Amino acid sequence: MILLPCPYCGPRNVSEFRYVGEVSERPDPNETGVEEWRTFLYTRNNPVGWTTETWFHSAGCRQHLIAERHTMTNEVRASRLPEAQLPEGQEERATGGNVAGDGGGAIY
Amino acid sequence: MVERAPVARSPIAPAPPTTIEYGWEISARSSDAELKITDCTPLAKVLVLAPMYGELARALGVPFGRAARDTHGTLVVGSGPGEWLLLAAPGTNQAVGKRVEVVQDEGLVSVFDATHGRALIRITGPRTPDLLAKVCAIDFADEVTPDGAAFRSSVAKLVTDVVRDDSGGARSYLLHCERSSGQYLFDALIDAGDEFGIEVDGFVDPGDRGV
Amino acid sequence: MSMRLDHRPGEVIDRQREFTFTWNGEEYPAYGGDTIISALAACGERIFSRSFKYHRPRGLLTASFLDPGCMVQVDDEPNVRGAHRRVEPGMVVSPQGVWPSLEYDVKSANGAFGRFLSAGFYYKTFIKPRRLWPVYRRMLRRFSAGGTVSASPAQDYFDKRYAHPDVLVAGGGPAGMAAAVAAARAGAQVLLVEEEYELGGYLRWGDEAELAALRALREEVASSPGIEVMPNSVVEGRYDDNWVAVMQRDLSHVEERLVKARAKTLVVAPGLIERPYVFEGNDTPGVILSTAARRLINLYAVKPGERAVVFSANESGDAAAEDLARSGVEVARVVDARRGGDIVRVKGGGKGVRAVECSDGAEIECDLLVTAVGWTAPTSLINMAGDRPVYNERAARFFSSHLPDDVLTCGGIAGDGTLEELIEHARATGGEAARRAAKTARRLRGGIPLESEAPPAEISELPLYEHPALFRGKTHGIVDYSEDVTSKDLVTAEKEGYDSIELVKRYTTVTMGPAQGKLESVNAVAIMAETTGRTIEETGTTVWRPPYSPVTLGALAGRIFEPVRYSPMQPWHEIRGAKPLVAGAWIRPDHYGDPASEVLNVRENVGIIDVTPLGKFDLRGPDVPKLLNHLYVNRWDNLEEGRVRYGVMCLEDGVVFDDGVTGRLGPEWYVMTTTSSGAAGVGEWIDNWLQTAHPGWRIHVTPVTTAYASINVAGPKSRELLLRLTEGVDLSPDAFPYMRVREGRVAGVEGCFMWRLGFTGELSYEVHVPAAYGLHVWETLMQRGADLGVGPFGVEAQRILRLEKGHFIVGQDTDGLTGPYDVGLGRMVKLDKDDFTGKPELAWQSEINGRLQLVGLQPHDGSLVPPEASQIVEGESEIVGRITSSRMSPTLGRSICLGFVAEHLTTPGTKVVVQLPGGERVPASVTPHHAHYDPEGTRQRG
Repeated sequence: MILLPCPYCGPRNVSEFRYVGEVSERPDPNETGVEEWRTFLYTRNNPVGWTTETWFHSAGCRQHLIAERHTMTNEVRASRLPEAQLPEGQEERATGGNVAGDGGGAIY
Repeated sequence: MVERAPVARSPIAPAPPTTIEYGWEISARSSDAELKITDCTPLAKVLVLAPMYGELARALGVPFGRAARDTHGTLVVGSGPGEWLLLAAPGTNQAVGKRVEVVQDEGLVSVFDATHGRALIRITGPRTPDLLAKVCAIDFADEVTPDGAAFRSSVAKLVTDVVRDDSGGARSYLLHCERSSGQYLFDALIDAGDEFGIEVDGFVDPGDRGV
Repeated sequence: MSMRLDHRPGEVIDRQREFTFTWNGEEYPAYGGDTIISALAACGERIFSRSFKYHRPRGLLTASFLDPGCMVQVDDEPNVRGAHRRVEPGMVVSPQGVWPSLEYDVKSANGAFGRFLSAGFYYKTFIKPRRLWPVYRRMLRRFSAGGTVSASPAQDYFDKRYAHPDVLVAGGGPAGMAAAVAAARAGAQVLLVEEEYELGGYLRWGDEAELAALRALREEVASSPGIEVMPNSVVEGRYDDNWVAVMQRDLSHVEERLVKARAKTLVVAPGLIERPYVFEGNDTPGVILSTAARRLINLYAVKPGERAVVFSANESGDAAAEDLARSGVEVARVVDARRGGDIVRVKGGGKGVRAVECSDGAEIECDLLVTAVGWTAPTSLINMAGDRPVYNERAARFFSSHLPDDVLTCGGIAGDGTLEELIEHARATGGEAARRAAKTARRLRGGIPLESEAPPAEISELPLYEHPALFRGKTHGIVDYSEDVTSKDLVTAEKEGYDSIELVKRYTTVTMGPAQGKLESVNAVAIMAETTGRTIEETGTTVWRPPYSPVTLGALAGRIFEPVRYSPMQPWHEIRGAKPLVAGAWIRPDHYGDPASEVLNVRENVGIIDVTPLGKFDLRGPDVPKLLNHLYVNRWDNLEEGRVRYGVMCLEDGVVFDDGVTGRLGPEWYVMTTTSSGAAGVGEWIDNWLQTAHPGWRIHVTPVTTAYASINVAGPKSRELLLRLTEGVDLSPDAFPYMRVREGRVAGVEGCFMWRLGFTGELSYEVHVPAAYGLHVWETLMQRGADLGVGPFGVEAQRILRLEKGHFIVGQDTDGLTGPYDVGLGRMVKLDKDDFTGKPELAWQSEINGRLQLVGLQPHDGSLVPPEASQIVEGESEIVGRITSSRMSPTLGRSICLGFVAEHLTTPGTKVVVQLPGGERVPASVTPHHAHYDPEGTRQRG
C-alpha cells in the first residue's frame, strides 16, 4: 500500500484516494473534431516511468490533486493542487462540505 | 393543528432506558466504565464554508486540521480546506449560525445547520487509541495527533471526521459521519471496543461547560 | 519408551503442569510448554506424517515451525505446524494424508515405483485423452497430502489492527533484541516481532554463557518502555513504503490478528535457517538437523535417539555432538566435513535410520544422524524490499546487494562474528534505524526540519566466516521434503531443457510446497548449478514473495467492514415488516407485503414512500447556473425562483450518466437531486469540475442526501392529506402548481421544503424534512391520513408506477451506450450552449440516424410478462432490440414494457417479436407513448 502525499492532509494510504486519470488537456468543445476528442476520451500514454496523474482524496479533504508518480517504483516525487487553482493569495475555492462520499460514505 | 410536539431522533438507536430531553429521544443510561461511547448527535452542528484565509477564517481562529473551543464553549473544528464544523449545546444551532454570519468576509460564505445531516459519537477512555487502531489507519500517537487534532479519514471503511478532544485529562475522540451510517459506525466502534470493555453512556447536555 | 531427559537449564517445559492429549487415537502425556511433536518425541514416537507424493514415512527434521514432516490435524484444524504449536490438555491430534494408517500406508508403494513419479510425471502422464481429466483429477486428489477442512463455517473471531512503529524489527533473536533496545533507547517506538513463543533465537538452546547473554538481553528488552514485543507472530510481507503485514497469533481473545504496520524503518533480523543435506535416505526418520537436536535436548529435554552419527561442518554440529553426549546419547562418530569427511547414504526403512554409510566406506549402525552442513539466509523480506541477494562463496550463502534506505539488516543475514560482534553491530543498526525513522516521521508530519539532525551512524561491517559449500553428497536424495522432489528430478528437468531455475521450479514444483523454499531453495539452486556447470551466482535464485509463512483465510478476511445506510424511517419499516432491498449501501423497503395493492392505493387514494436515498446537493452562490448549464444537457440560466426543472447529465462521451430535478429555493440557493445510486458519482463529478477546471466559480456544494428525510406523498388525495399538516404553504393548485418548490412547516417541523413532481404519474409532493424529524413526519402522515386510506409503498410499487407512466431509470433502461437522443430526450439537448459536458459527442449524436430507440411495448398476450433483457428479434436470428423493463400493471390489468428497438420499428402500432429466454417467441406492439397510463399527464398536473 503506497502512501500518497495529499497537499492538504499529508501522506495517506492510497486506499483513501480515487484515481481519476492521467492529466490531459480537454480540447475546446466548440472547435474539436472526432479524432482529437476521442483521443482525449480514450487514449492514455501509460508510460513506463514518470507520469502525472489526477487523484481525488475521497476519504479525506475531498480535494483533487496532481501527483507525479513513477509507474515502476511507485515513487511519488511531487504532489500539488490542480493547476487551474486561483493565483496565490486568492484562496477562494469551490469546496464541498462533505463528510461522506454521500453515495455510501464508503471507500473501496 | 398539530397535536404532538415533534421529537428529534438520532440515527443511532438509543440504548434503553430512553428518555426525551432537549427535544431528542436519548438513552438515559449512565456508565462509569473505563471506556465509554456516547451518541452526541443532539449537539448543534453548524457547517461553515468560507475562504481558507479570509476574515471569517481569522475570526474562527482554527485552521484545517485543528479544533479548539471559542469563548462561548463552542468547539470549532477545522474540518476541511475552507470548511469548519461548529459543535455546541443542543438547540443553539441558530445562535451559533448567527454569530458566524455577522462576520464580514469578502469571499463566498455559506452557513448550514448540519445537525440533521450528521451523526456524532464520542468515545472516552485511556484505551481509545487501541480501539481506533482497529478501525482506522491513522497514527493516534500524541506526536502525530495530539489533543486538538482534527482530520478526516476512513474509519471502518466509512469516511469520518475525527477530533481528538480530551476531557478532564481523559483521552477522548469525537467521530462524526454522514447521518445514515451513524448506526453502522456506532456498531463498528462497539465491536472494536468489546475487548476493552466498552459501555454505552447516555448523552448529557454539556450546559455551561460548552461542548 | 520415554526419551524425556532430566532438567535442562534452558528448558521451556513446565514439569509442574502434566496432562494428556490424543495422538492417532491414543492418549499421550505432555508438559506445559511442549510442542505437539516434542511431547510425542518424548514418548519415543518418530513418525508423524507421510510424504506428499511417495507417502514415505516422515519424522522430525528441523523441530521448528518449518518442519515439513510435522504437519498434523488438530481437532478440525488442518495443516497445523506440529513442531511449533504448543500442545494443550485434551487436544485431539491426528496424522494427515495417511491411508489406511500412519504405520502402514498403501500409497507408499509409490516409493517403490518412484521412477514413475519423476519430474513432470503428472504433466506427461495425465494429458491424454482429455476426456479422462475429471477421472485423473479425482484419482490424484486422493494422493495429495493435507488435512481435512471443516465443512461448517468458521465462527472464530479474527481481527485486524493498524500499527505505526518507528522501527519494526523482524526477528527476536540476539541481533533483533539488541537492535530493538538500541532503537528504543534512541527514542523510537519499536515493534519487535518473533515467530516463536519467546525471544532469544538460538541463544535459547545454547550453552551457559549464551543463556546468560539471553537473560541479559531479555532484561534489556523488558526494561525498555518503547518496545512492544509480539511473540508467536510473523512478518508476512513488506510492501511499498514499508507497509508491513504481521500475523499475530499469541492472543487469548482472538484466533489471529493481522497487524498492518506502517513502519518508518524495517530492521530485518530473521537469523539463519539450517539447511538439510541432499543424499540417499536423507528423509528417513532419524535424520535431523543439528539445530533440531539442540532444540529437542535443550528446550524440551527430549533425547532424540540412542546412538548417533554427527556430520558436522560448523560449530552448530560440534555443539550438537556435545549436547548429545551430555544427554546420554552414544555418539558413534563425528564425521567432520571441514576435514574432508562425508556421508554417502542412510540405510533404514519404515521405522527409521538403521545405519549410516560414510565416504571412507565405514557403515555405522545408529538410529540418529545429525547433519550440520550450513545455513540459508531467509532473504524474503529484503527480496520484497526490492533487493536481489547475491551469493558469497566464502560464506556459502546469500547476502543482500542493495537495500532501500528504510530497510536495514542485522544478525546472521548480515554476516558472521562472535556474539559480541553481532550484538554490537545490531545495536549500531538499531540506532541508525531510529535515526532514519525520525527523519521519516518529520516527512510524514509535514517536513518540519529538526534543529539538529543527527549524522548517519557508522555501522562497521560484520566479518564473513569461511564455510564449506555443502549441498549434495555423492548420492541423490530429497531436495524438497514438502513436495517430494529429488535431486534426480532436478537433473532430469535440466536434461529435458528446463535450464533456468524459475522454469525448473514450475516444472518440478521444487520450493512450491508449504516450506516455500526456506529449506530447499539453495540446495535446488546448487544442484542446478552443478548440473549445468554454472556457478551458483550465475544460476541465481528464485524470487521470494509474500506471505513468508502460510496464512489462514480467516486472518485475511478478518472483520469485514461494509458500511450500510439507513433512512430515519427505518425503525417504522422494520416494525411494519417491510421486505428489505439492498441498493448499494442503502437498505430500503422493497414492499410491505403486496406491491400491486400498494400501486392501486396510490392510483386511488394516497401513498407515501421513503425516498431518502435520493441524492441531494445544496448549491449556493452566484455561479450555480453556470454549473448547472455545464453539467446538464438542457438550459438552466432562466430557472425562476420557486421552480423545479428536470435535467439529464451526460459524461464527456455523450452517454446518459444521471438524471433528476433541481429546484431554485432562493436567489442564490438551489437543491439538486440525483438518482440514489448516482449521488456519489455526481458529487465527485461536480468536485472535479469546480476544483480542476473552474475554480473561479463562486459556488458552495454540500451533499445533503441524509440531512433531509425525503417522503413522496402521491395520489389523488395527497393534497388533502398535506393540507392537514402543512403550515405556511398555500397548497391550492394555482398557488402551488406542478414543477414548483415551496418551503414551510410540516407536522410542526420547521425548515421543510416540498416540490411537485410526477414520477408516479399522480398528483404528488416530494416532502423534504430535516432528517431527525423524518420519523415524526412519517408517523404523522400515516396517522392523519388514516381516513383517506393512506398507505406506505415500497421501491417495487414505485417501479411499477413509473413504468406505467413510461419514465425510464438510468442504469435500468439505459446502459453504457445510451445517449439522450435514444431515449426521446433529444429536444432537451441545447447544442447552442457555449460548453457543457459531452457537447461534441452530443452534436455528433444529433446527426446520426440508425441508433436503437426507447419505446413503450405491450405484449399481445396481456398476461405474459417477458423477462427483462429478453431480445427483440427479426427473421431467423437478427437481434433488433431488447426489453429493458417489464411488469404486470395492476392499474391496466395487463403486462407493460419499455424496450429498445431498431429505428425502423419505432412507429406506434408496429408489431415486434420478443424472444423469451427459453427460446419461445411472442408478439408485442409498440405503443404511441412511453407512458402506458395517462400519457397526457392530466393526473399529475391536477
